[in-house]
Amino acid sequence: MTFDWSVVWQHRGELFAATGTTILLTVATMAIAVPCGIVVAALRLYAWAPVRVTATAYVELFRNLPLILVVFWAFYVLPILIGVGLSPLATGLAALALNVTAYNAETFRAGLNSIRRGQVEAAMALGMSRTQALRRVVVPQALRRVLPVLASTWVSLFKDTSLVSVIAVTELAYVAMQIRAQTFRVLEMLTAMAAIYWLLGYPQAKLVDWIQRRYAVTE
Amino acid sequence: MSVSVGRAKGAGAKIIRYRGVVKRYGDFQALAGVDLDVHAGEVVCLIGPSGSGKSTLLRCTNGLESIEGGDIEFEGALLPKDERALRAVRTRMGMVFQSFELFPHLTAHENVAEGPRTVLRVKLTEADRRAAAMLAKVGLAEKAPNYPSALSGGQQQRVAIARALAMEPDVMLFDEPTSALDPETIGEVLNVMKALADEGMTMVVVTHEMTFARRVGDWVAVFDAGRIVEQGPPRQIFDAPTTERTRDFLGHLGWTG
Repeated sequence: MTFDWSVVWQHRGELFAATGTTILLTVATMAIAVPCGIVVAALRLYAWAPVRVTATAYVELFRNLPLILVVFWAFYVLPILIGVGLSPLATGLAALALNVTAYNAETFRAGLNSIRRGQVEAAMALGMSRTQALRRVVVPQALRRVLPVLASTWVSLFKDTSLVSVIAVTELAYVAMQIRAQTFRVLEMLTAMAAIYWLLGYPQAKLVDWIQRRYAVTE
Repeated sequence: MSVSVGRAKGAGAKIIRYRGVVKRYGDFQALAGVDLDVHAGEVVCLIGPSGSGKSTLLRCTNGLESIEGGDIEFEGALLPKDERALRAVRTRMGMVFQSFELFPHLTAHENVAEGPRTVLRVKLTEADRRAAAMLAKVGLAEKAPNYPSALSGGQQQRVAIARALAMEPDVMLFDEPTSALDPETIGEVLNVMKALADEGMTMVVVTHEMTFARRVGDWVAVFDAGRIVEQGPPRQIFDAPTTERTRDFLGHLGWTG
């Protein structure tokens, strides 16, 4: 059996661009899913009952569907629902954001719930409104507490972006598979793909560890 | 009124007036009709067994708990039901909790400056000035940049007192301020409270520290099962209690006068 690693080098331009798309998808998804997650969590905890139920239904729906199904759903059904055809990239981003927002909402909800009632009482005893107590006391502490979880979600998401390859988003997994199909260099391309994911993922995982140490709130 | 008789500082205006205060949690009656006056400049100590309602009364005073019956008056007006008006009242009552409840994501200085900044909306320089002054007052000027986790229990509670004082309140409410402390740090907190009392601060103190109640208190109310079973100057309560319940309670604590 002979290996031809030159195929990886020959396609370096495409792989490089595809890696960029993977990173872009990860960053863009989180940029949407963090603020949306906070809003959904706050709605679940503090909103008017019907809104609360809707937010809960959303979270439970998307948290319990396989991501790949959501990706297909976004590809086939979303354009009908919103009446506009989206690019594969935008469709993939929508699917990832819907999924990760649901997870982040749960993370934030757990974080908000973990803050002792006495903290809100101390804030209110100073004369703060409930909103001020949330903004100045509860949310900053909750954010610190959930930062490690968010960072783990980030690392998972980075790898899960590969699932949008099924709708032909030209991210790393899709492009690597394309090159494999054209060149029949299966082992080389899979190894190259694994190496790229790992080399980018490992420092992120280390960063997560660092964040966990740095932002641990001790009481 | 009879409750004013023999009060050392009884000449001061009544700052807080409790009349027939009732508080229920479901079927449990936490307060079963409490009458008590707090005069300006007085230290009123609430003592009694756990679950007798003294902390509940304190938490009703600034509206952290609502009441089901009776009246609470603060500075001549009924405690408002309206949230906004209630918040305005709370800015004039400092509260110190058993478990400190400092904000762990803020330094000692930021903890103390938070109320003036966020609630009173004073200028940043004024909030900083108040924070520095109040931390100095409780003897913790050098701990200003420290986070609560780096402070001892006694130091945290002193910062919590400074945080309440930075609002320049008319009354300070203390909810078992030394119950969560190591014995060796209780003294430093009680000393700060004694100094406050000497300055003429009006204080309502829920406490199990009988020595403090006797030495610093101007008026002592003994709680049992949601009622005040006896109230009077410390000399009466500790040396010549008039009710069996007071004698029992002090006896259980091993109080010998």
